[in-house]
Amino acid sequence: MEASRSNPEIPNPNPSPRILLPSSSSPVWPTIDGPLGLSEEDSVSYARRFYKFGFALLPLLWAVNCFYFWPALRHSRAFPRIHHYVVRSAVGFTLFTALFSSWALTFGIGGERLFGHVWDQLVMYNLADKIGLTGWS
Amino acid sequence: MAQNPRPTSILETLGEELVRIITPVSICMLLVVILVTVLSSDSSSTVTVNSIATIAYTETTSDSTWDKFVGALLNSLVFVAVVTLVTFVLVLLFYLRCTKFLKAYMGFSSFIVLGFMGGEIALFLIEDFSVPIDCITFLVVLFNFAVVGVLAVFMSKMAILVTQGYLVVIGMLVAYWFTLLPEWTTWVLLVAMALYDLAAVLLPVGPLRLLVELAISRDEEIPALVYEARPVTSQDSRAGVGQRRVWRDRRNENSNDVSHSNESIHSGLGENGSSRLNFNVNASENDSTLVRAEEGRVPDRGQELSAPLLEHITNAQQRGHEDAVSGESMVLEGIGLGSSGSIKLGLGDFIFYSVLVGRAAMYDFMTVYACYLAIIGGLGVTLMLLALYQKALPALPVSILLGVLFYILTRLLLEVFVVQCSLNLIMF
Repeated sequence: MEASRSNPEIPNPNPSPRILLPSSSSPVWPTIDGPLGLSEEDSVSYARRFYKFGFALLPLLWAVNCFYFWPALRHSRAFPRIHHYVVRSAVGFTLFTALFSSWALTFGIGGERLFGHVWDQLVMYNLADKIGLTGWS
Repeated sequence: MAQNPRPTSILETLGEELVRIITPVSICMLLVVILVTVLSSDSSSTVTVNSIATIAYTETTSDSTWDKFVGALLNSLVFVAVVTLVTFVLVLLFYLRCTKFLKAYMGFSSFIVLGFMGGEIALFLIEDFSVPIDCITFLVVLFNFAVVGVLAVFMSKMAILVTQGYLVVIGMLVAYWFTLLPEWTTWVLLVAMALYDLAAVLLPVGPLRLLVELAISRDEEIPALVYEARPVTSQDSRAGVGQRRVWRDRRNENSNDVSHSNESIHSGLGENGSSRLNFNVNASENDSTLVRAEEGRVPDRGQELSAPLLEHITNAQQRGHEDAVSGESMVLEGIGLGSSGSIKLGLGDFIFYSVLVGRAAMYDFMTVYACYLAIIGGLGVTLMLLALYQKALPALPVSILLGVLFYILTRLLLEVFVVQCSLNLIMF
């Protein structure tokens, strides 16, 4: 009794769930598929390839990269190399989407008032009619 | 103190497997029905396609019923002949180990389907709803969609959801294209394809059976478009590299330690109760060329992927649909079990089920409901037969024949009944 009271620094001996094991919060698998997905070494090469190919005007590939390696995005400490590529893919995707949607919305909402004559030439359904794309040749 | 895990019931293993294959089939059918109803509401512009399925006879509404029937029969015969030829070419190429060429062709045909056919259907929708989208946005989005789709279908290790989604989309696009054929041709074509599937898979000279036997004897996978449901993992799956293509490694082990695999079967059976079918134990004893039954577990790795249904091989069939732009797309038909115990359903099955339901949607929603139930029932029967016979089975015949039967009965009998009841305010 004396011994326990003399040292108030001793933490609560009752092993309550306050003791956090670092391994319990970090996942084992870097992909969203878990054990059905890739191992860590393959994941790094896949993440790198997706990131590089995304520069070919493929923001959807960046989005797929982020979706596929979602655990790596959340837990940066567990998968440092994958996190590096996935974060850049996420940044690229948001940037591209912001730019692209701003253009698309300007075009759609602005319409003829903003663009004038050019709008009719650029809009898709007129273009399709002109070229005859929906003829099901 | 660990909690005792809840004993898994048959609903959670077998039911889960079935749900995971019925859900994408239903989604594909729903999407095709939606497309058909939305795009053909203005039926003044009847879009007719000139394809290989209408090469013998183009249907006009002024012909008599008998003429239409004979014309449709000729069309279907031509189509089935072309498909048979192309499937034999596929078997030959597979025999000569031109796997790279086949995979490249598969990627190319997926690109054509997603890019061109997807683009055309998107254009239809844009024109119908007058969406103010400009060509740059449209092209970039379409390009993205098509390229990521090709990658998803091509690469074996992509996110499962993305691959499954894209396979369903490809099935939907091809099925919508098929619904543009004339009516009689579509129905006779469906029945003809069901009979062809039956013959090609079950006859010893059938091309699909040859393909499956080749694939088994060489221990390779057939390079084609197949939908693979996510395998059901049991509760205690722990670390250890789980592979979706388990059978390739284990095939070497299987011949050596049959006893080892038996042991794990028994342990698995004891662990998860009797929810697994008992065929597992018997089937792993024999290793015939056609029946390849494994329990879908990797004994030395501690990973547990359950296989409530037995493992079979998918059968393959090449669909040949022609339009001016696309070549042939390699789709797979037939049902089987994948290497990790998941159910594999060929994309051709998705397509023809959706064509049937789409055609039914062109008449009325009553026929849609009836045909949907018939097809799902037929799929259930096929899965039961799969578990019973432990062989590669054609998934088309039962469902298509039931579906056509229900369509005819609904149009002849049910419609009159329902309409009369509604008019007299008895029901509905």
